[in-house]
Amino acid sequence: MQRRDFFKKLGTAAAVTAVIPAMSFADDAKPVSPNKMDFQTAVNAITGGKTPKPSKKVKLKVPEIAENGAVVPVTVEVDSPMTQSNYVKAIHILSGKNSNARCIDVFLTPANGKAMFATRIKLGGTQNVTALVELSDGEFLTASQSVKVTIGGCG
Amino acid sequence: MADKRKSLIKIKPKKYKDGEVVKVSFMVMHPMDTGMGKNKKTKKIIPAKYIDSVKFFYNGKEITNMKVWESLSVNPVFTTYMKINGKGKLTVKYTDNTGEAHEKTKKIKPKG
Repeated sequence: MQRRDFFKKLGTAAAVTAVIPAMSFADDAKPVSPNKMDFQTAVNAITGGKTPKPSKKVKLKVPEIAENGAVVPVTVEVDSPMTQSNYVKAIHILSGKNSNARCIDVFLTPANGKAMFATRIKLGGTQNVTALVELSDGEFLTASQSVKVTIGGCG
Repeated sequence: MADKRKSLIKIKPKKYKDGEVVKVSFMVMHPMDTGMGKNKKTKKIIPAKYIDSVKFFYNGKEITNMKVWESLSVNPVFTTYMKINGKGKLTVKYTDNTGEAHEKTKKIKPKG
């Protein structure tokens, strides 16, 4: 072996050994969601075992195709008089396949005057978005729509 | 109480009467890290930092209470409706999972 070749090989070997541990370390540490919860457990936790009814009173507005999963606008509107005896108690927004299915729980009072809530959520991929509404008489209504996500938003 | 985050309360329409139902939106600059993202340069996991509760108060009385989880977008916006009931103050308070708290107040002045 020539002296010059020897030094070349030594150099590449050193570079490889320096890179490999850094990569393997990055792969070892897998990110974990702090509150992992799947969709069915989330629904049961909210309704306490009751089955929610699909209803046309709940209007869920989500884009059918979201180009960026990090910012998906969601609007939930409920047809309700919002009086002292008959009002919407809570609006829950759930995602079907995010590692934590629950996005937000909104507790309303008659002082709101109108049952509506809007925000922007993150979606990890193509999935259903569900609105779960609790009325003051203990009834649960639901509406859902599928959203096609081009670029995932989690991470 | 940390006041470093920028936040904004918007009321639509700008001119409102007593008894009218108006649209109120609260916007806040917040990273909303889920604890699952990685820093691309250092390859380290960014620790979870997300808003976990938002409350709307009107003259000290709680109107809307929100329990928030980590899957809201960066710089979240919370939009809801509210019935105007005389002069007063609208206060929005939030806390996040690391204990950071913030509040913003807007005066309510109905005309006519």
